Amino acid sequence: MTKRLALGTLVLAALAILAAYASAFLPGGAPKWAPWPMALGMPAALVAIMVLGAARNGRVGKLALPFAFSGLVLATGFALALALPADERAASPLYGGLPLRAAIVIYGIGILPIVVLPIAYALTFSEQTLNADDLERVRRAGEEWARAKASPSPAPDAKPRLHDTLRDEPVPAIPAVRG
Amino acid sequence: MSGALPHVAHPAIVAVAAAYFAIVVMISVWATRRTKTASDFFVAGHGIGLVALTVASVSTSVSGFAFIGGPGLIYSIGLAAMYIVLPASVTNVMGAWVLAKRMRLLGEARGLMTVPDAIGARYRSPAAQGLSGVAILIGIIGYMATNALAMGVVIDAIFGVGIAWGIWIGMGVTLAYSVAGGILAGIYVDVFQGTLMAAASVLVFLAVLKVGGGLGGISTHILAHDPGFLSPWGKAAPLAALSFFLVFGLGSLGQPQGVHKYYMLKDPLQLRWYPLLKTLGLILVLLLYFGVGVGVKSLVARGALAPLTAPDTATPTFLLRFTPVILAALVFSGVAAATMSAVNSFINIAAAVVTHDLPLALGRTPRNELKWGRISTAVLAVAAAVLAQFSGSMVAFLGIFGWGLFACTLVPALAIGLNWEGATKEGALASIATGLAVTLSFETLAYFKVYSFPAGVTVSGLSLVLSILVFFAVSWLTRTRAAAQIDPDVRLVMSV
Repeated sequence: MTKRLALGTLVLAALAILAAYASAFLPGGAPKWAPWPMALGMPAALVAIMVLGAARNGRVGKLALPFAFSGLVLATGFALALALPADERAASPLYGGLPLRAAIVIYGIGILPIVVLPIAYALTFSEQTLNADDLERVRRAGEEWARAKASPSPAPDAKPRLHDTLRDEPVPAIPAVRG
Repeated sequence: MSGALPHVAHPAIVAVAAAYFAIVVMISVWATRRTKTASDFFVAGHGIGLVALTVASVSTSVSGFAFIGGPGLIYSIGLAAMYIVLPASVTNVMGAWVLAKRMRLLGEARGLMTVPDAIGARYRSPAAQGLSGVAILIGIIGYMATNALAMGVVIDAIFGVGIAWGIWIGMGVTLAYSVAGGILAGIYVDVFQGTLMAAASVLVFLAVLKVGGGLGGISTHILAHDPGFLSPWGKAAPLAALSFFLVFGLGSLGQPQGVHKYYMLKDPLQLRWYPLLKTLGLILVLLLYFGVGVGVKSLVARGALAPLTAPDTATPTFLLRFTPVILAALVFSGVAAATMSAVNSFINIAAAVVTHDLPLALGRTPRNELKWGRISTAVLAVAAAVLAQFSGSMVAFLGIFGWGLFACTLVPALAIGLNWEGATKEGALASIATGLAVTLSFETLAYFKVYSFPAGVTVSGLSLVLSILVFFAVSWLTRTRAAAQIDPDVRLVMSV
């Protein structure tokens, strides 16, 4: 379900970005609304593809919160940059040394996700990404695949080669995977 | 790089550059002794530690652009140029979730060595492996030629030997370590170079803040003279700036020079800290990109510097006027080393395509890949140098679409395909073909001034979106074949 949602979001986001580009071909150039589907579609696409990569057994578990936070930060950052009045001038108040909209972009979009995402990745790594058991199962699956490929021509030192996998042969039975 | 760098020849700079090259040669001699198989040559024998891989990956990500072209671009178009590097806040961890684990596990299960290998294994398709290899090769030709030219420009600026000799000297050094030590030499040269560049970047950034009166002082001067520079979109249209973010954000998942490094990590469980370390490393290295770009603009605004004759002179001008010569020497040498490391990385990937992926796609068994890898490396390096030297403005044209071409041809088939069991071989082939056709056609039409997209629309952005949509559409139309196209071990890799 999570993966389906991520895939659906990715398609919709791509369509939104396409619409933004397409609008630039209208007579008179890109209308004022043109950046909006791009500004909202991009964060959606980035979060969707991260969810697609992180989902395990159809769930993202504790990662839901960091993903939601990051999507929100990116979308809000772009939206504020587009929506706030363009009043950069000599006397503009500075935030962290930058005028407001620039500060939102540099510190919000450029820095805030760093505080959350890589740390969330590290903290959930064993549970959500990879652990020693997974590694062992993959190694065993690789060995089984190698044995299956080597068995038709049982030369003593026969080692399977990559291109053996590329022939259009029937796929052997799929071993059970966790969960 | 426009070829407009001022000559910086100074005894200290020349001495540091010579020492830099000597260390590169020593590293390559060491790496050559450890390179005994094709796996050593192309993926460092799957044996690189976490810190070395991280630093090398940061080096490869930024190249010379972050130190010369990037600050110049900020000087020209303001904050719009930041959308090239801002995606780094998510791209490293996104790459880790989407690709790092799956590619490293494919390497573990099957000993894969190249990006097209992963595509071929995922779809059980020699055609998909071959077509992605062709796309990579086309992108790399441009990248190598532009980097070879950049190398010539920087070496000429340091040693004053002329751009043509600069190209051949730089390519000679690169060739020596690429042919002998393969990617292993490249990785450890990157580690050396990346460490120094991170330190130099921080020091240059501190110098910018000191000279400019802090970031507040820098902004105040810019706002007084050119407030649009510090608007969130700089001098570009919002759609164009956002397009940068799209192509350099989502498109990062298709860059073979970054992605294929996942194969090299010794212990896959060390991936846990990879995104955090790489992101922190990138921030350090990119401080110079941002700092010099806005710093020089501020100095020009307040009259402390004359307006630049060419944007690419922003970094050399600042270094020569406002930093100790030893720091300038370090950055110049680092830029030369960065362009060489980029060339090494691309040559290595291209050699793998020629000696490994294309023969497999044509149904031939690659033999003696180490020997042929070395021969291809030499041939490709000479070809890139010749192309850089004799093709004039065509080099710039070739360099334009490298990143975009990789993005639109590899993101759907590789990044989405390794995470979605419903993807099909047909979808992969169609998306790669779409990316190739759209990018090559429209970049060529634009280059010859026959047709250009309207303002705000980039060929790379549009072709990326189109290839993703084509991938989904064709996979959906051929969905009944999806399940039969995945080997059990690959399915396991996709499910863990």
